Amino acid sequence: MNLYRPELKRFRFLRWFDFRSWRLGMLAYILNRVTAIGLVVYLYLHLAVLFLLAQGPSGWDPFIQIARTPWFLMLDVILLAGLLIHGLNGLRVALTGFGYGVRSQKPLFIALMIFAAIVLAVGVFKMFMG
Amino acid sequence: MKNKKSSWGWFWQSVTGILLILLVGLHMIAHHFVAEGGIRDFQQVIAYLSNPIIILTELAFLISVTVHAMLGMRSILFDLGLSPQWERVVTYGVVVIGGLTVLYGFWLTYAILAQGSAPTAFLFR
Repeated sequence: MNLYRPELKRFRFLRWFDFRSWRLGMLAYILNRVTAIGLVVYLYLHLAVLFLLAQGPSGWDPFIQIARTPWFLMLDVILLAGLLIHGLNGLRVALTGFGYGVRSQKPLFIALMIFAAIVLAVGVFKMFMG
Repeated sequence: MKNKKSSWGWFWQSVTGILLILLVGLHMIAHHFVAEGGIRDFQQVIAYLSNPIIILTELAFLISVTVHAMLGMRSILFDLGLSPQWERVVTYGVVVIGGLTVLYGFWLTYAILAQGSAPTAFLFR
């Protein structure tokens, strides 16, 4: 099925929620977009929180205690997962866009997501145990 | 088939994306995995930012992540099937928001360095 028909241009994003089209390629596309929106929200939250640093130790150091709580670390786990999925999936998109690995997109996607899961597991272990 | 307008966006999206894999990796490792307890206190942040190479790396990260984020948001908004006029509004909008974000980041870096009397504050004068 050709998902890029011109008549579907308007409200193309509705395809994200069409479960019938959730083949591996579409899943990769949806993951890329959803993690992108999450990471942009995080970017601006991060820039806002860093304003505390401009207030010196009295502004920043109390925040450190909050940042080291397990609930806050859970948010870091979500961030790391989002970065790994978006970054590695995006690497595949860039490589195929430049003409590399076009025929092996699916195994490449699966391999990169397995690698993302391994790095995430190591990262979570380091965050909570290291 | 991509048209000419979307091609430059896609190209820079890819270039900044590949750059960000290195810069985000470095940022996460340096700030959250090397730092004791996963986060630096104020004095440790100032000591870290006293190296001019670190400042330049962080500013390169700021610019890359902002360009990548703005091009990405533009692409997602274009998926709504906007009219050419609204596509222009979105393009100008992301340029303005991206520019303000980078300016804020530069100001914030200077404000942090000045607050901690870091020797690298001179880079912004």
